[in-house]
Amino acid sequence: VRGGEKREQGGEKVKLAILILQFAIVFGFLAAPAAADIPETIDQVQPKMVKLYGAGGIRGLEAYQSGFLISADGYIITVHSHVLDTDYITAVLSDGRRHEAKLVGADPRLEVAVLKIDAAGLAFFDLNKAVRLDTGARILAFSNIFGVAVGEEPVSVQKGTVAAVTRLEARRGVFETLYRGPVYVLDVTTNNSGAAGGALVNRRGELAGMLGKELRNSLNNTWLNYSVPIDELRRSVDDIRAGKFVATRATDASKKPQRPIDLASLGIALVPDVLDRTPPYVDSVRPGSPAAKAGVRPDDLIVLLGDRLVQTCKTLHADLETIDYDDTVVLTVLRGQDLLRFSLRTAGEANPTKKDTP
Amino acid sequence: MRSLCFAAVSTVMLCLPSATFAGDADAEEQAAIDAAVEHVASSVVQIQTVGGRERVEGVLFGAGPTTGLVVDPDGYIISSAFNFVNKPSSILVRLPGGDRRPAKLVATDHARMLVLLKIDAPKPLPVCDIVPRAEMRVGQWTIAVGRAFDSPRPNVAVGILSAVHHIWGKAIQTDAAVSPNNYGGPLVDIRGRVFGVLAPLSPDAAGEIAGVEWYDSGIGFAVPMEHIQQVLPRLKKGEDLRPGLAGVSLKTPNPFTSPAIVTAALAKSPAAAAGIKPGDEIVDVDGRAIRRAAELREELGRRYAGDAVHLTVLRNKKRIVCELQLAEKIVPFQHGFLGILPMRSGENDEKGVAVRYVYPNSPAETAGIVAGDVIVSLSGAAVRDRTALAEQIGNVEPGGKIEIEVRRGDDVQKHTIALASLPEDLPPKQLPAASNGDGEAFPESAHAGGARLQIPEFPNEIWVYVPSGHAAEEPRGVVVWLHGPRGYDWRAILGAWKSHCDQDNLILTAPKAAGADWTPDEAALVDHLLTEICGKYAVDPARVTVHGYESGGNLAFLAAFRNREAIRAVAAVEALPTSPPPENEPSHRLAIYLALAGKSKLQPMSEPVQATLRKLKIPVVSKKLGDATRYLNAKELSELARWIDTLDRI
Repeated sequence: VRGGEKREQGGEKVKLAILILQFAIVFGFLAAPAAADIPETIDQVQPKMVKLYGAGGIRGLEAYQSGFLISADGYIITVHSHVLDTDYITAVLSDGRRHEAKLVGADPRLEVAVLKIDAAGLAFFDLNKAVRLDTGARILAFSNIFGVAVGEEPVSVQKGTVAAVTRLEARRGVFETLYRGPVYVLDVTTNNSGAAGGALVNRRGELAGMLGKELRNSLNNTWLNYSVPIDELRRSVDDIRAGKFVATRATDASKKPQRPIDLASLGIALVPDVLDRTPPYVDSVRPGSPAAKAGVRPDDLIVLLGDRLVQTCKTLHADLETIDYDDTVVLTVLRGQDLLRFSLRTAGEANPTKKDTP
Repeated sequence: MRSLCFAAVSTVMLCLPSATFAGDADAEEQAAIDAAVEHVASSVVQIQTVGGRERVEGVLFGAGPTTGLVVDPDGYIISSAFNFVNKPSSILVRLPGGDRRPAKLVATDHARMLVLLKIDAPKPLPVCDIVPRAEMRVGQWTIAVGRAFDSPRPNVAVGILSAVHHIWGKAIQTDAAVSPNNYGGPLVDIRGRVFGVLAPLSPDAAGEIAGVEWYDSGIGFAVPMEHIQQVLPRLKKGEDLRPGLAGVSLKTPNPFTSPAIVTAALAKSPAAAAGIKPGDEIVDVDGRAIRRAAELREELGRRYAGDAVHLTVLRNKKRIVCELQLAEKIVPFQHGFLGILPMRSGENDEKGVAVRYVYPNSPAETAGIVAGDVIVSLSGAAVRDRTALAEQIGNVEPGGKIEIEVRRGDDVQKHTIALASLPEDLPPKQLPAASNGDGEAFPESAHAGGARLQIPEFPNEIWVYVPSGHAAEEPRGVVVWLHGPRGYDWRAILGAWKSHCDQDNLILTAPKAAGADWTPDEAALVDHLLTEICGKYAVDPARVTVHGYESGGNLAFLAAFRNREAIRAVAAVEALPTSPPPENEPSHRLAIYLALAGKSKLQPMSEPVQATLRKLKIPVVSKKLGDATRYLNAKELSELARWIDTLDRI
């Protein structure tokens, strides 16, 4: 349209336009080396991808997954899974070359593993140049999803968007994974058989994350397509490569105080827990107790512990176990249509046992 | 020279966009998406619930956070009904700033599966901009926005508008990932204006969780915002909205090509009240011309119960406008029952219908009617025959009163009788003969072993047995026998049934499945077979029964439900219907006999299926056989034959 307008305005302007356009052609390309042309991005990423084959093939467990190169001399990162649970791991490069891969090490907490093949001069992702993404960022996901690609066939590419940048809820049972950290949730079904360990890149082909395993979100009973940001993995990967990685297992028990608080000490009795999800209504409040002093009343519905939503009697009991006996407990209750906030302290109460000194 | 320049320019222009500007376009698109989400984010709230059921209709429900959209600065928030199906004990709304407020569920739109919540807003809440329906174009950018994650920014999914007129005109469609992660949230355009509110919907099924199975599939739906604004005042008043029903049955081989011709205006429906009659063609709804049945469904489907609608019908080439008020539900019609079996012979000898048997504890018995009495008039008009009597009484529901005159000898008495409902008991142990000619010896006919029958277009082997000996003019009942998966043996079938056929004047016909087992298409064979038999013999329409064992039973239900005009009873052994039958019509009576083994794998479904049938006012006789799965023994078969013999009960 713009060309048409200019055409009517006379020769001088036409010539000028040509000049500008030619300028753009000659210099534009050179000046923008990372233009987000999807086919170009794909061509640039594919040589960095590897198809991994290992243990599995029974009981519905696939014997394959995805990975990508992080050095020219053959370091590969992938998801730590049952596939690597063998002495014979095969890595197939994008040109079809097969290499036996050695497991260098793994960080089970992050579910990341480092493999090594004997090769040189390979295309790779530099983990130090990995980028961070925001919600709404448009992405490409590379993986050997369902093991479709074999030999020199390139792995599958999917396009999508970062749906959310969030943390996997740390509460037990919500997500069946050891990883508890920030993730990119994607709006495309990337996490399927064989896709774990694939690469998440932005439209310019810059590495942003590693595709995770198949994972169900028990909060709303849907499949969660997620990818772990490279920033979260880099340190462990570097340590594994340097041979100085020491596995640290963060267990639930380590977070619990030695003497947690409970409802009885606060003076609260809940209604009988008879349903799958019994709402935590206060049945009675012991006179003179911290709850009574604060103003909690029978029939109040406890909805928040601190800033955390409490949905059932069971979750309230479980969440209280993470609070130390001597800490202030902040409860928010629903009374009628009012949300009321109470601070409860056991300090100064007749304390049956002395505080343990660590 | 100049023209050469132009050529150069256009060549350059053509090859440019894909290369040089691509990077900029990508950045611009990214910026536009971010800005669109930012634009709507302050109106998108997180909803948290406390308590509630863990499973709904067998589907496991998470109690995770869901999404809502502010539609009024006063604190009104619209969301998807899906988010509240587990009936939580309380609802909290978390505003974008983190402030939590308790919320009340004000009203539900059951037609579009939306709910309206109300919170006490601390200050006027920001309300989103809206995309007018007229501006929607398939292919436009769409961004589905939710608040399901623990993140300060809402979660997004990007796609395009796939359709603007789906789910019978009620919804727009997108290929963006739509799931519990954003149900209740807005679907926005690239400027952050709201197209509609995301909700699981299904074109076929209704209900709160219909359509959930399509989550993240590339098929997502949203209810247009323009519509939500229209109904908002009603929802704010606490009015629950439900789909509006007119109550017309259309017989359409293909709703997308056939005109909307009424086969029935359901009894007790708005259509019947407005005087719509079978044969009417509906040609206009509130000024919109209707050419096809699907257009009628769409036009009525978007309306609510209580809405007034003008239907124009074409009857005898005249256009008639009917006004009706759509109903929330149409109470199923129930057939009334006087409590007698009529005599079948001698109908031409004298006026009226002679009583063969009086059911114990029936209205007839209470009125003092006994076997041998003759019903001579109904509502002051002479009774022609039992078919006419049954038809007239069939129009009256239980509790409804009829006035009959009964002659006993020379004495005629008038009775006003309130009808009962059709019995659901096993048949009486013994029944008097149905015709006076019974009992006389008759010669074995040439077709004592039955005869082969062929229906054009169907390869099936079919045998038929027609009893002789009864008066030729006396109409016969029909039993269509549909075998189970373990085979077909005509001699054995006839051996079991012959005496009953002879005694009760029943035609027995048994087709054989064309393949290894029955296919649903073979329901059409039953239609053709009945047409053939009705064309050849005088058939008693009150006693047309389809009887089947296992897969044959399933086919029997299928055949009966699609041909309620002709089939009056289904007798199924080890089979249950898989879908509900169409609604009762006064002239289409249906009775069901179910026989299941005590340890049948169908046993757990039996009660709910019977409850569904009874809700539709269809009488069900249920028979429990022994533990093991089997066909009826001789004693049970004669009981079934007796049940078939009572189908002309009035």
